[in-house]
Amino acid sequence: METYFLKNDDLVKFYEHLAEDYDLYVPVREKSPVKRDECTCRASLPTDDYFLKKFSQVKKEDIVFNDYRAVEPTRAFFTHYKEEACEYFEDAGAKEKRERPVALCGIKNCDLFSLKVQDFVFLGGSEADPLYKSRREAALIIASDCPHFKEACFCRAFDINPYPTEAFDFNLSPLNNGYLLDIATQKAKLIAVSLKNLLVPATLGQISGRGAKRESVNMRMDEHLTQYKIPKKETLQDIVLSGYNSGIWQEEMRTCVECNACVFMCDTCHCFLLSDTSSSGSVKRLRLWDGCLLKNFTKVAGGANALKMRYMRLRNRYLKKFDFFVSNLGYQACCGCGRCIEVCPGKIDIRRILRKLYESR
Amino acid sequence: MKKNIYQPLKAVIEEIIEETPAIKTFRLKPEGGFKFATGQFIEMTVPGVGEAPFTPSSDPGISEKLDLTIMNVGEVTAKLHSLRPGEVVGIRGPYGKGYPLDKFKGKDILIVGGGVGLAPLRSLLFSLFATISNYNKVVLRYGSRSPKDIVYKNLIPEWAKRDKVDVLVSVDIGDSGWQGNVGLVTTILGDAPVDFTNTLGIVCGPPIMMKFVTLKLLDLGIKPADIYLSMEKSMSCGLGKCGHCRIGKYYACKDGPVFTYEQLKDIHDIWD
Repeated sequence: METYFLKNDDLVKFYEHLAEDYDLYVPVREKSPVKRDECTCRASLPTDDYFLKKFSQVKKEDIVFNDYRAVEPTRAFFTHYKEEACEYFEDAGAKEKRERPVALCGIKNCDLFSLKVQDFVFLGGSEADPLYKSRREAALIIASDCPHFKEACFCRAFDINPYPTEAFDFNLSPLNNGYLLDIATQKAKLIAVSLKNLLVPATLGQISGRGAKRESVNMRMDEHLTQYKIPKKETLQDIVLSGYNSGIWQEEMRTCVECNACVFMCDTCHCFLLSDTSSSGSVKRLRLWDGCLLKNFTKVAGGANALKMRYMRLRNRYLKKFDFFVSNLGYQACCGCGRCIEVCPGKIDIRRILRKLYESR
Repeated sequence: MKKNIYQPLKAVIEEIIEETPAIKTFRLKPEGGFKFATGQFIEMTVPGVGEAPFTPSSDPGISEKLDLTIMNVGEVTAKLHSLRPGEVVGIRGPYGKGYPLDKFKGKDILIVGGGVGLAPLRSLLFSLFATISNYNKVVLRYGSRSPKDIVYKNLIPEWAKRDKVDVLVSVDIGDSGWQGNVGLVTTILGDAPVDFTNTLGIVCGPPIMMKFVTLKLLDLGIKPADIYLSMEKSMSCGLGKCGHCRIGKYYACKDGPVFTYEQLKDIHDIWD
């Protein structure tokens, strides 16, 4: 991996260059009416949100460096909420749709962890999903460090650091009046060739400066997370299995309004439903995001439903994340991004549930 | 053009056999033929309506024709039951793991079916008949709600006449013309002419029936690793991606639909 220094003023030039070949998405800030989350650990935590928006559609002055992950899950760029999986019984030669590849800026380490889960599902299994595969292979990932974190962030509880060290093409780490730019892949190297005027090899001092900043955010987050007593990742499978008959699932679902927002905002969730429609002579198969907290998720023809109660569905979600994936992939399908915590109108908090399950063993 | 994994192949309905008032066997002619191993399943498309998973009931040795025995229970199957010969449906697959016939050699095979659950077992029976010298005997025990609900009424007596094959049917509720056994299928397992120390149990039927048959087979001395269950779950993609058919650490579509009880016995609520 090569590391360079890129000045603040040159970041937009870097983006402009990427936008020539990609549908480039960049972070913009959405101000929150709440200025700071005062945490019991006395840390003062930011509350603004970031969205990834199309570079060509935002004002240059609105583009920011996102201090932590964006609101929407990264997976939404690779499998869309509702999209055509295929047409069928077309007599004429089937049309192949070409999409412009995406370049995603502001992807954080939690998002990269989640993409590994998505890759396992959509590139693995019996056969790879062709649409996901083509998007994923063509995409350019411009990751970045998190100099701050939100109240809901808990990546460090699962030993995921708030800064990426792999699984990206580029990584930006803010430092003084610019950024350290890691160039990790051949694809990124080729792009960097035409940017060489903007890039200066990073000095050892800059690299160690970045190390100190990273260590500082680690320490701050660890201090923040102390209050939640989140169980270690090595115990997750055991606690969800041993807690199968626990009353915690019912207790925690009392405030659930079945909106399924936790599932749709989750970056590791992947479930979908194939649904057919016909209009004006053509029949299409749609792939729609589905979620295991929706009451008909496991309903079969005839009406039988293995997950008929809400608490069963919550338990199922945890078994999927912390048992199924640990058995099949080797690690949990939770990256600690905290999106499910922020979005839940019932204040259902995965950190609290895991701790309660752990303590009730 | 790259293959789209969600796209079905065309298949023409050649013949429809009415098995019971609610169950029909659809004999399809898939465009370009279709190969599967017994126990594997397919996703069947009713164009514009949707897909549903079924395990073929025909002989896997025949690739030009594909039989699917289907009960009218939901949206897709209701539409399917209204179709006529000559109309076109779609098929996708085959998916999952079928019956491991190589492990059946030298064994007594006790097949227990319930209701329309005899459909996948019919395909298995055809496979076993084709290689009958590999097995000590094949015993079929089939339970149906009533005489009119029995599927393959003409085939079952034919099977009973075969060498090394023993067949017994029981109904939950008899009628005036019924002279066979009355009672749940679990009541006709203990007398099965097999050596339970060398027997494989193959079970397919409604979940409640599979549960009690499994318990009975365990009682009779069959080991959990020798009981094969055909697990039915909501399956949308068939490819281990859509997430609907999880059973513990498995997906029914990819790791099943045939599982041994040994694989499932420590998983909670498998019969729900």
